[in-house]
Formats: sequence, C-alpha cells, structure tokens
Amino acid sequence: MSTELESPADRLSVHVREEIDAWVRQYPPGRQQSALLGALHAVQHENGYLTVTLMDAVADYLELPRISVYEVASFYSMFETEPVGRHSISVCTNLSCMLRGGDEVVAHLQHKLGIALGETTADGRIYLKREEECLAACAGAPMMMVDHRYYENLTLEAVDRIVDGLE
Amino acid sequence: MNRIGNFIRSLFLWELLVGMSLTGRNLFAPKITVRYPEERTPQSPRFRGLHALRRYANGEERCIACKLCEAVCPALAITIESEQREDGTRRTTRYEIDMFKCIYCGFCEDSCPVDSIVETRIFEYHFENRPEQILGKQQLLAIGDKYEAMIAQDKALDAPYR
Amino acid sequence: MSDEVRIEVDGVSLPARKGQMVIEVTDEAGIYVPRFCYHKKLTVAANCRMCLVEVERAPKALPACATPVADGMKVFTRSERAVAAQKAVMEFLLINHPLDCPICDQGGECELQDLALGFGGDVSQYTERKRIVQDENLGPLISTDMTRCIHCTRCVRFGTEIAGIRELGATGRGENMEIGTYVGETLVSELAGNVIDLCPVGALTARPSRYTARPWELMAQEAVSPHDPVGSNLYVHTRGGKAMRVVPRENEAVNETWIADRDRFSYRGAYAESRLPRPMVRDAAGQWRETDWEAALQQAVAGLQALEPSRLGMLASPASTLEELYLFRRLAEGLGCTNLDHRLAQGDFRDQAQAPVMPGLGMAPAAVEQLGAVLVIGSDLRGEVPLLHLRLRKAVQAGAVVSAINARDYDYRFPLATDLRSADPAASLAAVAQAVGEISGKPVPRPLQAAVQGVSVEQAHIAIARSLLDAGSALVLLGNQIQHRRDGALVRALADFVATATGAVCGRLEVGGNSAGAWLAGVLPHRAPGGQAQTPAGLDARRMLTQPQDGYVLLNVEPELDSTLGAEALEPLAQAFVVCLTPFVSERMRQYADVLLPIGTFLETSGTYVGLAGQWQSQAGAARPLGEARPGWKVLRVLGNLLSLPGFDWSASDAVATELRQRLGAVGPVEPAAPQVLERDPPEGGLQRLASLPLYAVDSLVRRAAPLQATVQAQEARAAWVGPAEAERLGVTAGGRIELRTEHGRAELPVHVHASLAAGCIALAGGIPETADLGAWDRPVQVRVLAAEAPDLAETVE
Repeated sequence: MSTELESPADRLSVHVREEIDAWVRQYPPGRQQSALLGALHAVQHENGYLTVTLMDAVADYLELPRISVYEVASFYSMFETEPVGRHSISVCTNLSCMLRGGDEVVAHLQHKLGIALGETTADGRIYLKREEECLAACAGAPMMMVDHRYYENLTLEAVDRIVDGLE
Repeated sequence: MNRIGNFIRSLFLWELLVGMSLTGRNLFAPKITVRYPEERTPQSPRFRGLHALRRYANGEERCIACKLCEAVCPALAITIESEQREDGTRRTTRYEIDMFKCIYCGFCEDSCPVDSIVETRIFEYHFENRPEQILGKQQLLAIGDKYEAMIAQDKALDAPYR
Repeated sequence: MSDEVRIEVDGVSLPARKGQMVIEVTDEAGIYVPRFCYHKKLTVAANCRMCLVEVERAPKALPACATPVADGMKVFTRSERAVAAQKAVMEFLLINHPLDCPICDQGGECELQDLALGFGGDVSQYTERKRIVQDENLGPLISTDMTRCIHCTRCVRFGTEIAGIRELGATGRGENMEIGTYVGETLVSELAGNVIDLCPVGALTARPSRYTARPWELMAQEAVSPHDPVGSNLYVHTRGGKAMRVVPRENEAVNETWIADRDRFSYRGAYAESRLPRPMVRDAAGQWRETDWEAALQQAVAGLQALEPSRLGMLASPASTLEELYLFRRLAEGLGCTNLDHRLAQGDFRDQAQAPVMPGLGMAPAAVEQLGAVLVIGSDLRGEVPLLHLRLRKAVQAGAVVSAINARDYDYRFPLATDLRSADPAASLAAVAQAVGEISGKPVPRPLQAAVQGVSVEQAHIAIARSLLDAGSALVLLGNQIQHRRDGALVRALADFVATATGAVCGRLEVGGNSAGAWLAGVLPHRAPGGQAQTPAGLDARRMLTQPQDGYVLLNVEPELDSTLGAEALEPLAQAFVVCLTPFVSERMRQYADVLLPIGTFLETSGTYVGLAGQWQSQAGAARPLGEARPGWKVLRVLGNLLSLPGFDWSASDAVATELRQRLGAVGPVEPAAPQVLERDPPEGGLQRLASLPLYAVDSLVRRAAPLQATVQAQEARAAWVGPAEAERLGVTAGGRIELRTEHGRAELPVHVHASLAAGCIALAGGIPETADLGAWDRPVQVRVLAAEAPDLAETVE
C-alpha cells in the first residue's frame, strides 16, 4: 500500500537474503518465482514458522504478488503458518507402517505427550504434526520423521527414547 | 313405424315418467347435503383455501424470498420484493397475494422450498372493499400464526404422500 | 504445410486450425460441451473436468478445453463414456456444494444449477461431512459465499491475466483449498466486478444488488456507459422500470467482455436520495417549492427571454447524450447565445482553434493492442479509461514499448520502458520533442522554439524519442490531467509535434463519456457542429464562470465539482438567473439555481455516445425516469417550443441524431487554425497542486453511487497525497491531518504519503466536496499541520 514507505523486504535478515539470492541465481533471470520454495525454507528455518509479514517480505523481495507466496506457503505441509513447537514429529500411518504398528506409535505419542495431532506441548518443545502419508521408508516400517530426520523400525521404547532426547 | 311409436310415447307421457322415476328413487335415498353452516362436509388435509405464511418454532419467519412461488403463480397473483436483512439473511420486504387473482391451484405451496407459503383449510372469508383482497406480509403471517396448529397437522398428514 | 486440419465431432466433420483446443472448435460449430473453468478470454486451466469428452483411441475421457486438435481426430461429446464421465464429475462437484439455491443470488442463472439439471443425479452417494469455508470481506462491491465455490479459478486467472492485479489466489490444497486473498484484504482492482460475471456459481455475487431481484424477473436493456469515452456496452437489467443491476454486453471492438466497476455500479446513483423527482422553482420570496412541469418551464422561459443572449452562459456535462448536446446547441443558436461549452474540466483554451474536430484515440481501441510504442502523458489510465488500460496492457504483453510522463506512479499494471517522473509535463515533453527533432532531423516548428529553448535532453528523453521513432506504429496519448492543466495548450502542441515527427498518432483523452460528441455537436464557443470555426467566438467554460453573466443554463453540471475552478465557479451563479436541467439536486444547487428541471440519467434516456474511435453508439433508454423526471432531450425540445424557436419538432431522439448527421455531412473537411507561439510557464514557488477527477468522482451519477463511494479508491481520493520528502518537510506522516488554505477557501484532509510523488507537489483530487472550497485547481496551496500522526486507534475504540 501507498502508506508503507519502508519496504517490508527490509524485515528479512541479511543471512536470509543471502540465501534467497543464492537460490535466485540458480534460475534464469525473471524466473525468481522458482526460488520461492527455497526462500520460504530459509525464512521458516530462522523464525520457526511463517508470518504474513515475513511472507510479504519474501514477496516484495522476489517481486512477486503477495498472494502467490501465501498460496505456496499454505499448499505445502512443510510450511507452518501458525506458531508451533521447536521439534515437529510426524508419524507415517500409510499401509506398510499401519501393518507394522504405526497407529500404535501415534496413540502412544498422543498419550505420552498429552496432546492431539496438530497440537504443541505446553512447554513449546514438541509439535505433533500429523499422520503422514507414505514417506518412502516402507522397508523400515513403522517410521516417523522428527525435524526432517527419519527414525525407522520403531518400537514404543525407541519412540520414548527419541522423544525424551529432544531438547 | 317410428312415428307411431313416438306418438304413443308422447300420449302416455313416457318421458315424464322416466324422469319422475329418478326423482322417486332419490326421494328415499340417503342424502349427501349438509346443513351448512351448522353441519360441514369433511375436508382433505390438502384442501386449498386461504393462504398463510408460516414461521419456525423459534418465531423466525420461514420465507427466504426465493420468489419461486411468484415465478410459478399462473395467475400472477403474488408480488414479492426482497432485500438483505441486517443479519445478512435474504428476506422479503413485501409479500402480497391478490386473492381475486388467485385461482387456488396450490402451485405456490408446492414450489416453496421451506414450507412457508401454505394454503389452509379455511375458505370462509370475505372482503368488503376493493384493495382489501390484497393480503400483505403481516396479514399472511398473522393467519399463519393463528392456524399454525392446524397447518402443522395437515402437513404431517400429507407428508407420507409427498 | 497448411494449418488446416479436420476433426470429426459426433460424426460431423469440422474444420479446425492447428493448436486450437477441441472446445474452441465445438463452440464455433455450436456443439455444446459443458464447462465451468473454461472461458474464452482466460488461459486454459482444465481443473473442473466438466468438459470431458471421449476421443477415439484415447484410453480415458479427455478435457475438451485442454485437448489440442489433431487431423482426423474423432471426438464424441454425447457418447455413453463421455456422458458417464461428465456425470461423475458433476457428482464430485456437488459433494461440497451447498443446497441453498433458493437463497443464492446466482439461482436462476447459475451454471452449476443448469448443468446439475442435465448431468446431476437425484441422490448423492456422499454421506460424509460437507466442508464449510469462512467468507472474506472483499469490499463493498463483491459479496462472497465461498462455501459455494467449485474452484474453477476463473477469478484468480482474471486477476492475473486480465486485470494484472493478483489479489485472489487458491490457498491450501485438496479439500482445504480456498479461493480468497488469504489476509482478508478488499479487492482494489477497478475491474474487480468482472469476477462476479466470471464466477459460474454463487460464490462471488454483486453486493449492491444482493438479494434484491431474481434473474428471471429482469429485463435486459441495451445501454452504453457514459462515464468514460470507451463507451462500454452494457445490459441494464430492469424490473418494473427500475434498474436493478448492470452487466457487460459483449462487444469485441469496444469492451470485449469486461466493464469497469464504475460502469457496473454507477446505476445506484440514479436512486440516491438527492435525486430530483419533480420540477422546482424559487418563488418571489426566494423559497423553493415543487411545481408542475408547465409552471417550471414557463418560469425558465420567462427568465431566459428577459436576458440579453450575449450575457447568457450555457454549460453542458460531457457525459450527456449526443442528442441532448445537439439540442443544447440548437437552443443556444435559437437564443443567439455563443457562450456555450462543455469543457468545464479544461484549464487552457489558448489552442482551441487548432484542436482537431473531436478528441479521441485516432484509432480503434482494438488497434491499440497492435501498437509498437506508446507514450502516455499525464494520465491515471486506470482511473480515466480502465478498459483502454487493459488494451495497453495487452499491447505491452505483445511487445509494445510503453513510456509515461506522470507526476506520480499511477500503478499501471504493465512494465513501463521509461517512467519519467515530472510535475511539469511541458518541460519533459519539450525535452522529448527536442530529442525527436535531433534524431529525426525534423526541426521543432517555429511556434514551439521558445518552449524547447534551454531544456536539458537526458537519456530518458532520448529513449522515449527512439522508442516512438523505431516503432512501426506508435501512439502519443494525452491524459485528462493535460486537459486540466493551465499550460495544456503547450503540452498538446508539443505532443502533436512529437507525434507528427515520429509518424505516431496523437490521442487525447478528455473528461466525460461523450466529450467527442460535444465537440461534434458544437457545444463549444468557437465552433459550429462539425468543427467549422464560428466567429466571433463566445466565452469558454472558464471565462464564462470568471466573468459573471446575467444568466446560466446548466445541463447536468455541478460547477463546484465539475469545473477546474472548484467552488469559485459558483460565485457568478449566485447573482445570476440559473436554470438547471439536472437529475440531482444538491444543497449548493438550491443556493444558486432559480429553476430546477429534473432530467433522466443515462439509464433513463435514449441517446447516442461518441466513443474513443469516433464510433456512434446508441441506446434506447433502459429504465423509467424517476418521478416526473423526463429525458433531457425532451425537456430541451419543449424549452425550444416554448421559446418559439423554429425547427424544434422532433418526436424521437433518433430524429435529432439524424438531423445532426445530415448537418455533419454537409460540413467539408475542416482546416485547423495555424499554430500559435506558446511558451513554457516558469515553475511557480510553493506547493503545486496536482488535481484531477478521481476514478469515482467523474460525473454526478458516479458521485452518488454509494457502493462506489464506499470503496478503498474513493476513500483514498479524499486525502491529500504528498511525496516522502514533502511529508518530512511538513512534519507529517501518513494518516496525519492537515489544513489546506488557498486565497479562496480552506479544506481539511488526512495525509497519504506516496513514495513516487514528485517533489514540490501535493495531489488533491477535484470533483469531491472536500476540496471544492479550495477554489480553482491551479491556486497555490498553503498547508498547516493539524495532526502529525494517525490518531491512535486504541483510543478511539472505547
């Protein structure tokens, strides 16, 4: 809008801007929209989740319509647009994992942490993201993903150990 | 030959006798006339008489101003104007039926998606002056309020056949 | 190899061009294929899947909108497999669609409703939960029921591809996909209303006409928009003689399938409270009273006959019909009055003798798309001619080089090759002219020599000159702001030279949908119908109002808003005998007028409008005039009769147009007068006011259309705009309040800071009551800060 003289792009940190620039360089000129996913990852990594202000900043920095940033951010499940816990856990419950006890892992986690899927523990430590569809690790079923790391061949004890080990 | 037969029939008042025999048979048959208004014939729950606008149990008027009754009315007896009420719902600002135009076909009732406009079993009403036959929204709602019990019962009786 | 292929659709062999989609071929042949997301003006999305057809040897049914034709292709649109596929798609579409047709405004004209009748089942197999979508407030023009949305994305594509403002988008995915702005902002496109027509269901509907009428009750009447010279073709939908809504009428040559929001919602102004339903006269005691037509006309005639014709001023709105304007001219001729004009928005009349017969583009609007280069000078294109802006956008997409010389960034929705920021267009254009002269070797003509003296030619000016010279076809377009300027004559002369020297066409945009018609009809002090010079010339619009006359006849004019003199224009009226032919009455009108004659708005009169390319477009009159109002041409005719003027005996408006046409036919080619010497004004000290008529203040009808006045654009126009440097100098920030003073009066306005505004300027709209008291638009303005910052919202919330 006209009244905003200070560009929202200034709200991005120097580091994030460098990272976005690196992504932009990978694509032909004028195709900076391709760098959007990388840019959002960089912003989310720094802030934990995406706010409208930050998405606007990315849009302005990449000279894209703001709505196209909102579209991408809301489409992909790896982007969070609400505040969430520090560690995100998603458990696969697709066929292989289901047969090998994925559902029990989910139930155990919910019971242990006292939260439902999609919720964050009160101390802000763990975010139980969702039942994930297949994450392509059927050979190690049941599995779960904690902060982009796969943990396979889970037992309930293993789950306890992993979760307790999170800061 | 034919002419002779005709002559004999007219001489003995044959046609009259045939006619009188019908009268005679009915003189002793059971009667279907009733002493209106002390007595009344039974009415179907589908009887199509005076119109009414109904309300929901919570007092909210049913009519949503969809204007299907206005569109379907073959006599163009219904006039509706609508607007958005303050709570954002679609409501009529004017709902009028000209009872002189109405032919009591019941299409309005059939077309109503919310069972708002109905034809009651009331048929005894009159108008004394010219513009009175145009029933407005408040009058129709008042009729509905007054006879809601009857209307609800009739609707319930008819429901299995709809 | 030829482009032609033949395909077979339902056993009928059809010609097609390579690259066409199947649905284009079937549409041309009149073979029906159901669709939701396909629209001929938008790109193919193929996401509704409703147009699935069977293609021979294809394993599955294919979407007709995204299947290119191939020679010998066999398509079946009604085969068992095709219909089964279409029915299956319909069942899916109806899973989440609410069953609220009786309260939906789209009911009766809904594409989903229609197709559900043909392809829908009686009973849904779906028994799970239906989804519900929260509505966003998209502003005062569009109401939303997003639960009804079927995700065809036509509205999204319209914003991206046509309007050039991507406001709506599809957020989320799968079942959670929602169409909206995500952050709940109102739409600010001046064309946003078109999404109402595009939406195949009732998700996006018109808010001003919400719940007031059903499609089957409405009569579609043809009309032409009077708000800008594009002359968009409209259908006015009426019920019982009252206009209930306005939708576009397709005309590829004029407005394609779009119309601006201004054309779509201005009809609401016709039913504003300030509408004048009956004639009114001021009696001997100075009191207003309603009267009948006869008495009012008699009083008007008596007053006019008592006046010396040379002491009479006659002013008409350039949004009037050609017939009204010509009758106005005939009335002036009959009275012997030459003080006749429609150019209230003009600031400089020095070059009126050199002007072309009428303003316009000099080419068909559609031809703009093929231009190689365009130079726009002093134009808020999106506000002045929204649909011409669309054409220019298409030209840019096709490779045209468009440059602009503006005092601020008007946010054109296409990239500009050169964007010159200048509050003095004459100086910038002089530099361009100099550059053109140097490059082309055609010297700047003698009368303009003084103007180009001493200008510094910079790289940007050379770039503009080169772009015009290098292009095969070019256009130099002068906007409304040039018309308003005190040095407009010089800008026009320079633009003429630039255009001539580069082989470009010089187009002029003027305020009002029919200013071309007014020039043709001779509603001018210096020209007869057809453009022949008339001597001696009468007073022009500005002088008529600065040199008090004894009497005035005003045709749909609100001088304090329409004139570049602001409320100063009212001063001579107060003493004079004033007859107003007007659809509306205002408090100010009651103060200066003596007789008020109610006339119909454009919705209520038959008539003709002359468009950008000089094309005549006629309408028959859509709605019934309100109260006792009558079409303007009838009132003018009766006035003529009562004044016993000869030849005032037309019985239909067509006859008036026919007479004008004959009169124009008799006029030979008109030689414009020789150019005169024009010099640049030295830049003035102090804050220079940039004034223009904003998007929603162009004429009396638009100014009274409540939905338009509630938009963000209208609200932003009611503010003082300054650049960041100026704001700092004044010590205000956005949202603060300032008091403005001129020698004539004062005004109080909130401040908007616009980064691109040239230094030393303050942009204050004309045409709005808030700034009328400041007087003439070219007066220097003094500023006093009332509140430096926006009021703290928390305090006012209490």
